[in-house]
Amino acid sequence: MMKRVFLAFTGITLLVAPLRAQDQQITGKVTSEAGAGMSGVQVIIKGTTTGVLTNGEGNYTIRARVGQALTYRFIGHAPVERTVASETTINVTLRRVASQLDAMVVTALGQEANKRSIGASQQTVSGPDIASTQRENFINSLQGRVAGVEVTSSSGVPGASSSITIRGVSSISSSNQPLMIVDGLPIDNKTFNTNVLASDAPGSVSAFNNRGVDFTNRAADLNPEDIESLVVLKGPEASALYGIDAANGAIVITTKRGRAGQGGFEYSNSFRVDQVRSSPEVQRTYGVSGITGGVLNSFQYFGAPYLPTAQFYDNIDGFFQSAFTSKHNMSFSGAAQDNRINYRLAVSSDKQEGVIPNTTYGRINLTGASQAQVNRWLRTDVSMAYSFAANTQPWKGADGPLLGLLIWPQTDDAQDWRTAAGTRRRLTLLSATSEIDNPYFNVQKNLNNSKTSRIIGNLGLVITPFSWGSIRTNIGIDGYTNEGRLLRHPESAFGATYNGVLDETIDVVRNINAQTVLNVERRTLWRDISVTGLVGNQVSDFRSNASGLKGQDFLDPNFVSINNTSVTTRLNRTTLNQRRLVSLFGSATFDYKDYLYVTVTGRNDWTSTIPIERNSFFYPSISTSFVFSDAFPAVKEWVTGKVRFAYAAVGKDARPYAFRPALESKLTVGGGYGYGFTGPNVKLKPEFARSYEGGFDLSFLEERLGLEATWYRKRTKDQIVNDIRGSYATGFILFNLNGAETSNYGTELTIRGTPIVTDRMSWDVIANFDHSFGWTKSLPNALPESYVSDTWVYNNVRNGTQPGLSTRSLTGLYYLRNNDGEILIDPTTGLPLRSSIFIDGGYDRTPDFTIGLTNSLNFGRWSVSALVDIRKGGDVLNATEHYLVARGLSKRTLDRETPRIIRGVLRDGRENSANPTPNNIVVIPAVQTAYYTSMSEELFIEKDINWLRLRDVTVRYDLPGRWLMARTASVFVTGTDLLLITNYSGLDPIVNGNSAAVGGSGGQGIDFGNFPMPRGFSFGLKVGF
Amino acid sequence: MTNTIKRLARTGVLAGALLVASSCDDFLDVNTNPNGPQVVSANLYLAPMLHWLVLSPQFDGRFVGRYTQQWTLPGTSLSTWDRMGYDPASDNGAQQWRDVYWSFGQNLVDMINKSEAEERWDLLGVGYILKAWGWQVLTDLHGEIIVDQAIDPTKFAFDYDTQEHAYDEVARLLDSAIVLLARTDGAVNQTYLARTDRIYLGDRTKWAKFAHGLKAISLNHYSNKAGYDPAAVMAEVDLAFTSNADDAQLGFTAAGNDDTNFWGRTRNNITNYRQTQFVVNLMNGTQFGGVVDPRMSRMLSPSPDGLYRGLDINVVGFGAMTATQQPNNFHGFAGTGGTLVPGRYLFDDKVKMPVMTYAQLQFVKAEAAYRSGNRPVALTAFRNGVGAHIDYVNARNLDNGQNPTQITGAERTAFLAAVAAVPTDPNLLTMTQIMSQKYIAQWGWGHNEIWMDMRRHHYTDIDPASGVQVYPGFTPPTTLHPDNGGQIVQRIRPRYNSEYVWNSTALNAIGALALDYHTKPLWIIQP
Repeated sequence: MMKRVFLAFTGITLLVAPLRAQDQQITGKVTSEAGAGMSGVQVIIKGTTTGVLTNGEGNYTIRARVGQALTYRFIGHAPVERTVASETTINVTLRRVASQLDAMVVTALGQEANKRSIGASQQTVSGPDIASTQRENFINSLQGRVAGVEVTSSSGVPGASSSITIRGVSSISSSNQPLMIVDGLPIDNKTFNTNVLASDAPGSVSAFNNRGVDFTNRAADLNPEDIESLVVLKGPEASALYGIDAANGAIVITTKRGRAGQGGFEYSNSFRVDQVRSSPEVQRTYGVSGITGGVLNSFQYFGAPYLPTAQFYDNIDGFFQSAFTSKHNMSFSGAAQDNRINYRLAVSSDKQEGVIPNTTYGRINLTGASQAQVNRWLRTDVSMAYSFAANTQPWKGADGPLLGLLIWPQTDDAQDWRTAAGTRRRLTLLSATSEIDNPYFNVQKNLNNSKTSRIIGNLGLVITPFSWGSIRTNIGIDGYTNEGRLLRHPESAFGATYNGVLDETIDVVRNINAQTVLNVERRTLWRDISVTGLVGNQVSDFRSNASGLKGQDFLDPNFVSINNTSVTTRLNRTTLNQRRLVSLFGSATFDYKDYLYVTVTGRNDWTSTIPIERNSFFYPSISTSFVFSDAFPAVKEWVTGKVRFAYAAVGKDARPYAFRPALESKLTVGGGYGYGFTGPNVKLKPEFARSYEGGFDLSFLEERLGLEATWYRKRTKDQIVNDIRGSYATGFILFNLNGAETSNYGTELTIRGTPIVTDRMSWDVIANFDHSFGWTKSLPNALPESYVSDTWVYNNVRNGTQPGLSTRSLTGLYYLRNNDGEILIDPTTGLPLRSSIFIDGGYDRTPDFTIGLTNSLNFGRWSVSALVDIRKGGDVLNATEHYLVARGLSKRTLDRETPRIIRGVLRDGRENSANPTPNNIVVIPAVQTAYYTSMSEELFIEKDINWLRLRDVTVRYDLPGRWLMARTASVFVTGTDLLLITNYSGLDPIVNGNSAAVGGSGGQGIDFGNFPMPRGFSFGLKVGF
Repeated sequence: MTNTIKRLARTGVLAGALLVASSCDDFLDVNTNPNGPQVVSANLYLAPMLHWLVLSPQFDGRFVGRYTQQWTLPGTSLSTWDRMGYDPASDNGAQQWRDVYWSFGQNLVDMINKSEAEERWDLLGVGYILKAWGWQVLTDLHGEIIVDQAIDPTKFAFDYDTQEHAYDEVARLLDSAIVLLARTDGAVNQTYLARTDRIYLGDRTKWAKFAHGLKAISLNHYSNKAGYDPAAVMAEVDLAFTSNADDAQLGFTAAGNDDTNFWGRTRNNITNYRQTQFVVNLMNGTQFGGVVDPRMSRMLSPSPDGLYRGLDINVVGFGAMTATQQPNNFHGFAGTGGTLVPGRYLFDDKVKMPVMTYAQLQFVKAEAAYRSGNRPVALTAFRNGVGAHIDYVNARNLDNGQNPTQITGAERTAFLAAVAAVPTDPNLLTMTQIMSQKYIAQWGWGHNEIWMDMRRHHYTDIDPASGVQVYPGFTPPTTLHPDNGGQIVQRIRPRYNSEYVWNSTALNAIGALALDYHTKPLWIIQP
C-alpha cells in the first residue's frame, strides 16, 4: 500500500514534472552501512510529492532543480537530506536506527503519513518477520511483537482458531477482536460459530454451543508470505477513520507488489517437525472403583491399589506422533523499468500434520496483483487472492480425545481400539454413552472437517484530476464457502444415543466493500501552517448464508454422508445474516512548522442493525503530535522525539436482528411457530466508547535507543450486552440491552535499541511491555451478572462479570465463606459448603503485564532472531486437573489415605461470631470420596500464572553469491514454541475452552481437555533468480 | 482533458452524494430477520404450546414423581428429590415455569390478540384455556407466582401475586373460554383450528369439555377451604369428558427428539428411574386385601425374575436386591436396555401422552360427591373411573404395540368385583379407595394433580372411614433433605435461573429466599 500510494504520487510527478524548467537530471546510488545497494528507498524532492524508488542495485534517477532538497527514506533507517547543487550525482549512505520520526508509515485508510504527524499509538511488523516464524496462522506470530496485542490460540491443533485482542477486553458479550484490513478494505476474520448448525437449532438436544469443536479463524486464509507489512492501529485513530467495526482497533495489512529491479522468480520452502512439549501424567497406584464380575463398571479410580503384577501400557506417550509439515512458496514479480506496470504472481502450498493422529491443515494460496499507470491521471491496482484450506481437527473438551487418553485404564492397551469386527472395543459395563471414547477410536472416528474456498478481490483506481488532490476508489469482494462436516460416530459415546449424528454445513459468505477517498495534498494555509486532508465514503454489505443439514441414525456406521442417515431424522436449517453500513468521513491534519500537528476527524455511520430513528451516529476525534526536539532544537543533542495525545469517540452497532425478535419454526409436535429465547428491545441504540491516550516517542544516542510510551483510558457507555438474562416473566429468556458500562486503562511501552551496529555486525532489541485492565462499572437494569453461556464449559465456572469486577473475571459456585473469608464446613460431613448461586471469588484472567522481547543479530551472512514472550499474573482454570482429581486419577489424590481436617469453620450458626467453631472433623478421602468428587472448581483456578516462553527463534544463513546460480539464496532453521517455563501445573496456560467465535472475554483461560501448542523445528531454503 | 476529468469528478461526487441521500434508508433496510417471520397466522402459534401443555408436566414429573413416590432414582446416594429436597442453583423442577412464561408467554399473547381481532372465537377460547392451565399448574407447584405483571418485556422486576389471585384468574379465564367455545359466529372454523390442534383436531366442543374439566379440578382443590363447593365440582365434571374418547392427549411420530414421547427410551429421561414400593403395594394386593390389580403387570415393570417389586426410597440404590430382583426399567428391560424397541404403557417413543383424562375427572367427581355425602354418585363415578382407566391402559399399550398383553374382559370384570379395592356397596366406599385409584389412574403422567391430591390430604391423613391412610403405605422419607428443617415438601421453589438470579427482590418479599421455602404450605390447602 505504501508503495502504491507513493507511486501514485509518482504519477502526479509525471503530470507535473515535464512542465518545469531548469531541471537537471540527478543520478546516484543509495547504500547501506555495509556498502550494499539498497532497493526500494524513497527519494523525494522535499516539500513536494515528487519522488522515485531506487532499483535493485540501489540506483536512482530523478529530475530536480538546484536548491531543492532531496530526502532519502527507508523503513528502519534514519532519513538523509541533500540539497541539490551543481553536481549531477548524489550518492547516499543510510544508517540503520532504532527509532525515527521521519519514517513513512501506513496509517488509517491506507494513507501514508510521516510518523511525526501521528497523534495515536500504532506499531508496525514487517512481513518477513511474520513469515519467518513459519506459522500457518499469521495471527500467532503477533504475540509479543506489538505492545498491547494479546493472541490466544484455542489449542495447538492444526487449524485451531486464534483470537486477538488489542488493549484488553471491553465488550462483555460481543467480539473484542480488531478489524482486519487488507489493502485498504476489510476482510472477514470470522470463526465459524456452531450456532448455525442444524444440531444447534433451537430445541435441539445435540447442540455444541461452541464447546468441544473449533474452526479456523478465517484471517488464517492469508498466506504469511504475501504480507508486505502489518500495522496495528491500537486505539482511537483506528476507529476514527475505519468506523464502528474498528472499535477494538484495526490490523492493517499491506500485501506485496512487484518492484522494478527486484523479484523475478523466488522460491522458498520449509519443512517442520512438531512434537509434544510435555505429556500429561496420571497416577498408577490405585485402580478402578467398580469391577463387576471382573469387568469394569466405572472410570473412577478410587478402588484398591493395583496388584504388583499389574501390567501397564503407555497409552499416553504412544498416542502423540511426530508431525511433519511442508510448505512451498513460489512467486514471480517485477515491474517495467519505468515502474508504469508491476506485477506479482504467487502460489504456495502448506501441508501440516498435527501431533495428534489424524489432524491436518492444508492450504493453497494463489495470488496475483498488478498495478499500472494507465495515463497521467489514472492509476489502477488489481489484486486477487484465492485460497483453499482444508482442516481436520479432533474434538476437544468433554468429548475430546485428551480426556479419554487420561482416563482410559492404563492396564488396558488403548491402541487396541477395535474389536475383531472392526467396531469400537468397549471396556466397561457402562452404557455406550457413559463410557468415554477410547482416544485412539475418537481421533479416527469423530471427525471435524472443514474446507474453505475463498476469493478476495480488490480493484482500485487512483484518479488525479486536480493538482491539489486525488481520488482513490476501491471496491472489494471477499467471498468464501466453508463446507463443514461434523461427525459423531454411531459407536461413539457422543453419537451412540442417536446412532450417529452428522452435521453438514455450508456457510457462504459474501462481503462487499466500496470506498472512495478524496485526498487533498498538503497546502499552506497561512505562513507556517499547512493542512492536508481527506473526505470519503464507504458502503459495506456483509452477508452470510449458512445452510445446515443434520442426519442421525446411520445405516452403515462407517459411511459418512447425509444420504446414509435415516430419512426421518434429517433436519435442514438456513441462517441468513445481513448487515449493511454506510459511512461518510473526513480528516484534516494541520501542521505548524512541521513540528506541531493536530488531526481532527469526523465520521458518520449509518447501520442497518439499529432502529432507523437512531441508526445514524456521528463521532469525532482529535489527536495532536508535538515534535519537541524540532521546536526546541537545543535538546536534540540529548534526545529527539515527540509527545502526543489523542481523544476519540466511537459508536458501535448491534448484531443483525437484535432488536426485533423473530419467530422460529419449532421442532415440537405439529410444528408451528414460537418466539426464540431473545425478547424485543425496540429502544436499542448504538453504544459509545470514549478513549483518551497520551504518550511520547523518544530517541537517544543518535536514535540508537528509542522509547515509546502510551497511556490510555477507554470508557464504554450504553454498551450493548447480548443475550443477557432476565426473569422469564418478561415472556422471554434473553435480551439484547444497552446499559453496561466498562472502563479500560493501560500502559504500553516499546523500547528499541541497537546496541551494536558495525559494517559487519548489528544487534537490535525490541521490547514491548503491556499492562492493561478492564472492569465492569454497571450492567443493564442493575442485573447482577452477565456471562456468555458458551463459556460454561466445565461444571460451574463461567466467564461471568459483575459490577466492580474485571471484564475477564470468572464466577462460579465457589465455597461459602464467613465474613472473615474462612471456608464454611458442613458440620455433618466435614466437607466445605458451596454457594448455590454464581458468585465472585476474586478470580481474574487479566495478566499484570506482558513483555515481548525480540533480539535480532546479524553477523556477516548469519542472522539470528528470537522472540521471548513473558507474562506475569492472570488466573487460569485447570479444569482438566479437576476432572482428574474428581476421578481419583490425579497424582494429587495419592495421599487419599491420609486423614485430614479441612481448614475452615463449621456452619453451626456461630460462623460469623467472634468465636467461630474451627472445623474439627477428620476426613479420609479414600473413604469419603466426596472429598474429591464434590471439590469446587475454585481450588483449580490457579492464581497468578506466569510464563516465559521462547516463541520463535530463527537462524538464517545467506549463501554466497552465485551459489545455486541464484541471485539470492539463504537457508534457515526456525524453532517455534521450543521452551516454556511456567508455574502453571497443566500443560500450557494459553488455552481457550471455546473457540475464537465466542464473544466477550470468551473461554480464554479455561483449560479443559485442550491440546497445547507443540514445539516445532523448521528448516528450509529461499532462493531468488 | 482536464475539463473532462473535472466534469467526471464533479458528476461522481454529485452522484455519490445523491446516492447516499436518497437511497440510504432503503439500502439499510435489511434488518428484518429473514430466518423467521415476525408475525404468523394465529393458529401457527398453537401447536408448540399444545406440545408443552402435554410434555412440560412430564419434565417436572421426574422430580414431582419422587415427592409423590411414583418412582425413585437409585444411585450411589439418596437423591435430593427422593428426600423431598431440591437441587440448589438448578432449574430442575421448573420446566412448567419456563413453558408458561416463555413457550406460552408472548406467543399466547399474540395468539389471543390476533384471534380476538379476527373473531376466531374457538381459537381464542383455546387460548384462554392455555392461559388458565398455565396459572393453575404454576400456582399448584410454586404457590405465589407472577400473574398480573407477567409477559412484559419492558420490565425487569416482577412482583408476585397471591395464590388466591391465581385461582381467581383461572376461574375467570375458564369462564370466558367456555363462553367463547360455545360460539359459532365470526371466524370460528374447525379446519383452521385443526391445522395445528393435534389434541382435538379443531373440535371446539371437546375444548369446551376440557375447560369444564380443568374448572372441576381447580374447584376441587378448595377441599380444605370453607368455601369448598362439591356440587359445583360435580356439575363441572358432568359438563366435561363423557368417555375416554374425550381424553386430551398427544401422539408422537418419534421422528426427532421433540416429536418423541418424553418417557420413550430414545429420549432417555426415565431410564434410570425405578418404581417405588409404595406404588407396587397399591397394586399387588398389599394394601387392598390381596386383590392384585390387573393393571400392575401392564403399567409397572417386573424384575428379571418376573416378580413385581418396588424400591424402598430410604435405601440407597437397589439395596440388597440381586440382579434378578432389581426391577427393570419402565421400558421393561434390565439396566439401560430397551433402545429402539417398543416399551411398556406410557414409557414408549410413540405412545400417546395425556394431560387430562375421563378417568381422572371421574375420580374428581367421586371425591366431591363423597365429601358432599352423596355415596351412590360417588361410587358410580369411582367405578366409572376404574373401568375407564383399565380401558385406557389397554388402549395405550396398543399405541405402538408395546410389550404388555391386553387386560382381558374377564380380568376387568373380576377386578371391578374385587370389593376390597373396588366396592360395589356405596356405603363401603372409602376416601382411601378413591384417592388410591385416582393415584393409579394418574400414575406416570398426572404428576401435578397427584401431588396436589397428596398435599390436600397432608400426605398421611387418616381416612376415618377406612381407619387407614388416604394413601395407604405412604411414608415420607426418613432422612429429609437438610434444608427442609424436618418439614415435608409443600412446593417447588420458583425457577432458579429466572428468579433467584434475576428477580430476587421480589422473591425476598414472599419469603422465597429462605432455605426451607419449599416446605411452606400453600394457601389452597390451608383451611
